[in-house]
Amino acid sequence: MGSNLPMQLDRIAIEELVYRSCLALDEKNFKAYLDLCHQDFRYTIAAHSPEIRKDMTWLDHDKPELQLLFNNLPRHISDHSPLTRHAIVYTVEYSAEQQQANVISALQVFKTSLDGGATELFAVGRYLDTVRVDGGAPRLLKRVVKLQTRQFGFGYHIPF
Amino acid sequence: MSRSAAQWLQQPKLPQSHFVDSRIYTDETIFREEQQKVFNKSWIIACHESELPGAFDYRTFSHPGGTPLIVVRGEDQQVRSFYNVCPHRGNTLLYDPVGNAKRITCIFHSWSFDTRGNCVDITREEQGFQNRFCKADAGLREVRAEIGFGGFVWVNLDDGACTLKEYIGDAMNLLDEHMSMPLEVFHYHKAILNTNYKLWHDTNSEFYHDYLHYFNRVTGMLQPGYFDRKYVGYPNGHASVGSMTIKYDAYEGGKERGVGWPGLAPGGWILIDIFPAMTYNLRTSVLRMDTSIPLGPNKLLIEFRGLGLKSDTPEQRAERVRDHNTIWGPFGRNLHEDLLAVHGQGRSMRPGSEAAWVLHGREENMTIHDEGGMRHFYAEWSRRMERKSYEPFPEREMSVVA
Repeated sequence: MGSNLPMQLDRIAIEELVYRSCLALDEKNFKAYLDLCHQDFRYTIAAHSPEIRKDMTWLDHDKPELQLLFNNLPRHISDHSPLTRHAIVYTVEYSAEQQQANVISALQVFKTSLDGGATELFAVGRYLDTVRVDGGAPRLLKRVVKLQTRQFGFGYHIPF
Repeated sequence: MSRSAAQWLQQPKLPQSHFVDSRIYTDETIFREEQQKVFNKSWIIACHESELPGAFDYRTFSHPGGTPLIVVRGEDQQVRSFYNVCPHRGNTLLYDPVGNAKRITCIFHSWSFDTRGNCVDITREEQGFQNRFCKADAGLREVRAEIGFGGFVWVNLDDGACTLKEYIGDAMNLLDEHMSMPLEVFHYHKAILNTNYKLWHDTNSEFYHDYLHYFNRVTGMLQPGYFDRKYVGYPNGHASVGSMTIKYDAYEGGKERGVGWPGLAPGGWILIDIFPAMTYNLRTSVLRMDTSIPLGPNKLLIEFRGLGLKSDTPEQRAERVRDHNTIWGPFGRNLHEDLLAVHGQGRSMRPGSEAAWVLHGREENMTIHDEGGMRHFYAEWSRRMERKSYEPFPEREMSVVA
């Protein structure tokens, strides 16, 4: 780990993968989101609680479980306010041997109310991604959404 | 048929114990009275003992009566609680929610206190106070604290209150046998909502709202035994709901839970509401504890804790965490739905609205969709508040009569 990407083009492709994942979830296009994920994809939401001095895992799903979560959404009562995910890729560390890149992105999530359209900052954190780069289009192999924000009011059903 | 304004304001044709005036959820005067008459005189959960594992570990707590508190474990392992207020100039003593402090030193003028509440240093004491005031006059205000009922740290601001054991009485009987092993908090988060604390406690006091939860409908309501669960009311406004077997694999992708809980039948579920605003919720493999801290008549802070056994292996703990988060985590299936509903109540019942009445009128022999749990709460609330929950102010009755 730690070497530079062989080509600047690969970094652009990885950045675009991260940004496309935001766009897909913003649009609730879950198929498009899952299409960006490797078959061994694992998705986790994590946070640290200073109050109980512990790391917490708030969601932990493989790809079929995430698919199921998306499938079940219409059966649940949810807030319909749209979210806007804003990510900026900070670092990309490429391992030629593992054909993977570790990617750290800053994440901000905004929520816009349906009634009146006021936008508020909903959450901040980071995407800690592992991306499979094996010649084809890069795919998300692992995403840890490490949240700083731990208060979400009445919450939300759709992951970040 | 829709109703006119006069009809809307007419008292429901139910016994007066079966509905409340919605102003008890919005009125500022009532809220201030509740802080004094209810919260400042009740045993309240401040934290769990596992949050203070070592000597000098402390935890801060925003008491729902309004006073900030410190809970600290002393060198003698005794857990004590004090006002988080410096007796000098009223500054907050401990700012962080958690920490370790052999000495509690105010940042403002460096007055210092030990974990027994003694003032151990007044900077330049003699020069400033000569013999008129000394450390012995400057101890912290200690608050009664007891550990019990699953290792929670309970506090009571009323020095003359009954013991915690007397306060709880038999209300925890259903859970007592499941609390014999030391517990540990693995999950903590807060939610702030524009709603009244009683509306959240109401939600925890009735299961009729399982219609809100797809998860509960398919894993519970459609399963045998669901309609046999019974509410039992206890003195001091507490209530319990008996167990059933939840069929977790009835939810798409769901699995039967493996790790379980000592003494609890697989898929079992026991819920106990403690007056005025705490709920034990033991479901299969996880104990959830809700503690409500009202910030105003229409503003509520809820602390959510998830607990497992202190003796858990990493694998067992991981399974409990997963079970917890599937339904109760910040992104879980049920919690968002519950919070959305009480948020909606807060929206419609804000001050000035004429939401008028809230019904607690269902009678089903105190089984799961009976609203007797809420009626039991409001009987105690009325007693302590010296106000009728269905008629907290005389003027509405007069205006209806007129």
